[in-house]
Amino acid sequence: MNTEKISYKKPLLETPFHKRTSEHCYANDWYRWAGYKVAKEYSSTELEYTSMRNTAGVIDITPMHKYEIKGKDAKKFINKLITKNITNIQSNQVAYGIWCNEDGMVIDDGTIFCLNENHYRIFCAERNLNWFCDTATGFNVTIEDISSSIAALAFQGPLSCKILNLLKVENIENLKPFHFDNYKLENQNVTISRTGFSGDLGYEIWCDPSQAIDVWDSLFKFNRDYKVLAAGMNSLEMVRIEAGFIQPNADFMSAEQALRPNRMRNPYELGLGWLVNLDKEYFTGKQALIRHKEKGPEKKLVGLDVEGDKPAMGSVLYDNSKKNIAKEIGIVTAAMWSPVLKSNIAIGFVNKEYYKLGSNVYAEIYHPEELDYRKIWAECKVVKKQFFNNPRRNAIPAFI
Amino acid sequence: MKKFDVIIIGGGHNGLVASSYLAKKGKKVLVIEKNEHVGGLAEYANSLNFISPIIKKELNINIHNIKDTDYIISLEDNQNHTILEDKNGKLSFVKTNADENDQKTFLSIINNYKLFSKTLGSFMYQKPPRVKSGKRSDLFQLMSMGWKIRKLGKKNMRELLRVIGLNIADDLEDNLNNDNLKGLLSHESVLGSNLGPRSPGSILTLLYKQAINDNIFNLKKIEVTNYINQLEDCCKKNTVEIIKSSEVRKIITKNNSVTGIQLNNNEVIESKCVMSNADPKTTYLNLLGAEILDTDFIRRIKNFRNKGNVAKLELVLENEINIKNIDKKMYGKFIYAPNIKYIEHAFNANKYNHYSKNPCLEFYVNDNTLSANIYYVPYLINASHQENEIIEKCVAVLSKFIPDMKIRKQELITPNQMEEKYNISGGHWHHGDLEIDQLLMMRPFYGSSQYSTPVNGLYLCSAGTHPGGGLTGINGLNAAKKIIEDSK
Repeated sequence: MNTEKISYKKPLLETPFHKRTSEHCYANDWYRWAGYKVAKEYSSTELEYTSMRNTAGVIDITPMHKYEIKGKDAKKFINKLITKNITNIQSNQVAYGIWCNEDGMVIDDGTIFCLNENHYRIFCAERNLNWFCDTATGFNVTIEDISSSIAALAFQGPLSCKILNLLKVENIENLKPFHFDNYKLENQNVTISRTGFSGDLGYEIWCDPSQAIDVWDSLFKFNRDYKVLAAGMNSLEMVRIEAGFIQPNADFMSAEQALRPNRMRNPYELGLGWLVNLDKEYFTGKQALIRHKEKGPEKKLVGLDVEGDKPAMGSVLYDNSKKNIAKEIGIVTAAMWSPVLKSNIAIGFVNKEYYKLGSNVYAEIYHPEELDYRKIWAECKVVKKQFFNNPRRNAIPAFI
Repeated sequence: MKKFDVIIIGGGHNGLVASSYLAKKGKKVLVIEKNEHVGGLAEYANSLNFISPIIKKELNINIHNIKDTDYIISLEDNQNHTILEDKNGKLSFVKTNADENDQKTFLSIINNYKLFSKTLGSFMYQKPPRVKSGKRSDLFQLMSMGWKIRKLGKKNMRELLRVIGLNIADDLEDNLNNDNLKGLLSHESVLGSNLGPRSPGSILTLLYKQAINDNIFNLKKIEVTNYINQLEDCCKKNTVEIIKSSEVRKIITKNNSVTGIQLNNNEVIESKCVMSNADPKTTYLNLLGAEILDTDFIRRIKNFRNKGNVAKLELVLENEINIKNIDKKMYGKFIYAPNIKYIEHAFNANKYNHYSKNPCLEFYVNDNTLSANIYYVPYLINASHQENEIIEKCVAVLSKFIPDMKIRKQELITPNQMEEKYNISGGHWHHGDLEIDQLLMMRPFYGSSQYSTPVNGLYLCSAGTHPGGGLTGINGLNAAKKIIEDSK
C-alpha cells in the first residue's frame, strides 16, 4: 500500500517507479493520471515513439485502476457487467470488453484477466468501483480495489520479446496474444501478459511494488545493443492512434461522467459492435442495445486519411469541397502525423451518410504557424481505424 | 396444472382490490398470501382509514365511518389541552389556550392547505403522467396540472409555489404564536415520514396526505376487519382464487418477460402476468433478483428511501382509561407533540439511528385499550431496539395524562418487527417516504412508475406506488386498470 500522505503541497502520488522515472524525465513534464504523476515526455516524444516502433519502450502504467473479483458468481457477474460473452474464457486468458449503462451508452473499456474460474482481475482507465459494486448486487462476489498493490509496466515494441528472452524469461516467445502467465524475471516473480496499447508486439508486466525498481532496471540491461527508452504518455498517445484504439474521455465521454446526455456514445457508434453479444441472456444495457442496433448509429467513429501533412487536431468535418456551401458532418477527436506510415491520420465522428469506407469528407485544419493560423481545407478519406497492424503483433512464437 | 391470467403476490388490501377488479373484467386471477389471513398491513392501520369512493362504488363495498363527529386533542404538560372538533370536515375549536387571532389564523392556514392540496390532488386518483413518454395523454395530464395551479390566481399560486418546498416549522412560526397549535400541525406533517418539522418539504407531505385522505388530520375511522372481509367476499364472488399460508420465493422470467412464479415449496405456477403487492425493494431485490436488472436501476432501488420510524404500541390496562381534564364524550385522536422544538429534538435521535428518549405520540383510546403510534423509532439495520425501554419512555409520557396506569398487556411493533411480520423491507407505513422525489411519476422511482416495471408482464400495486400508503385502494385499482390497458 502507498502510505504516502497527500497534501496541498504535494497533491499527486508517486508510483513505485518514480525514483527511476524522475531520473529519466529530463523534461520534468508530468501528467496527472488517477491521482498519480506519470511522465508526459521524458526527453523527446518522437524519440520515445521511435523506440516503441523500432526497439522497445517502457511505460509506467501503474495508475491504471485494478479490481479484483473473487467468488462463486465471479463469471456470472462479469457476464452481467460487460457486453461480450466470456462463458468460454479459460484460466490465463485475457478478454477485452466494454460495459454500458442502462441506456446502452459506453462507460469504459478494460481487460479482464481470468486467474481461475472464480477469480478475475479487471484493468481499466477510469474509476469503476462504485459501478462494479452496484452491478454485483445479488451475486456472490467480492470486489476489491487493488490499484495500489500492483505495479505495472507496459513493455512495447518489436524487440520486447527478444529482450525478455535475453533476460532469460523462459518460454516467453510462446505466450499467445491475450494470454498471461507467471514468469521469473531476473529472480523476481512477475506476471506477464501479451497485451498492450501499441498495435505491435508488446507485453505488460505486473509485479509487487517492492520489486518495481529491480524490474525496471532489468528491462534496460541490454541497452548497449538495444536502445530501450522510457516512454511517456505523449508517445503512448501516438502509438494508440496509429493502432486505432479509442480512449474514454478523449474519443468519447464515459457515460458515468458525461454531463450532457447527447455526448454519450453507444458501442455501435464507437465501432465496437463486435464486442456486443445480444444473444446473451442478460447484461446491463441489453434492452437499449437491441434498440440501438435496430436503429443503426446516427454517427460513427472512423479512421480518416487526411490530405497533406498538417495534423487535423480538433478539426470540424464538412461534406463539401466548396467551403461556402459545406455542411458540418462531424468532428476529429484525435489526429497526428504518423512517422511510421508516412501519412496524416485522424480518428473522428462522421454522420450516417459518410461512415462507409471510402467516403470523402473535408476537414478544416487550423495550423498554427508562428503566431498565426494557416487555414487548410483538406480532403479526408474514410478508412478503417486500425492504421497500424503489424503481423508480428499476433505471431506465435513471437519474434526473438 | 392450472394457468392464470394474473398472479398477485400478497393479499394486502391493494392486492384484493386489484384482483377483484381484474376478475370483474374477466381475468382469471390467483392471489398468494404468506400469512394465514389476508389484509396485510391494513389490520395495523389505526389511522389513514380513508377509502376511495370510486372503490366503494365499483366493488359494492358497504362501509361507513364509525363516527361523524371527531375530536382532536392536543395534549399539554400543564393539562391545558387544545380540543378541536371536526364535523364532516369542518373544523372548530372546542377548547384552547390560544388567543382568538391565533385560532383564526390556524383555521385559515388549514383552509389554505386544503385549497392547495385540491389543486395538487387533481390526478391523485389517476395514474400519474410519465415524463418524456411522448404520449399525448401524459402531456395533456401534465398540462392540466399546470393549468390547475395557474387557475389558483396570482396570489394563491405564488403562495403555493412558496410553500411547496418549505418546511412546516418556518410557515407556522411566521404566522402563529401558540406553541401547542404549531406542534399539532407539525405532528400531522411529519408522522410516518422521515422528516422533522424543520426538514424541507414537510409541507408538501402534509398537502399530499390531505389530498389522498381528504382530511388533514386523517380522522375518518372505519372497522378495518369488516372492510377486509368485504373485500375478500368480493374476490370470492368474482371467482378469484386465494391461496393462504403460502410464500412466493421467486418470480420466474425468461428473456425479460415474466413466465410465472415459484412457491417456497418449489411448486411453479405459470402466468404471463404477475402483479406484486410486496414493496418495491422486496419485489425487485428478493423476488425478481437483481441479476436481471440494469445497474442504474439497481442504484435507484437501493436509493429508494424506505426506512420506517414509527412504532405501534398496544396497551391493555386493568381499568377503564380516564384522561385527565377531558370530557369522555370528546375522546378522539390524542396527540402529544407539544411544540416544534420537542418534535425536532425527537427527530434528532432518529438521524443517528436512536429511538427518541422523549417520543411524540398519537393515540386512540377505547375502554381499557390504548393504541399508540410512537415516533421516532427508526428502523435499524442489523440491530434491534431495547423494546422495554421504548415502552417505558412511552408510558412515562402517557402517565402524565392517565393517572394510575396498571398495565395488563403490552405489545410493541417496531419498524423492524413490522418488516418481519408483514414482509415490508424497512418497515415503512407507505413502503417509502412521501417526499417530492418519490411522488407521482417519480414513485417509487424513475423507470418503475405507472405501476409497470422494466420486466414485461410484471406490475406493482403496493403502497410503494402512486399515490402511496393508506387504505385508499387506489394503487390496486390503477394497477389493475394498467394491466387491462396493456393487455388490449
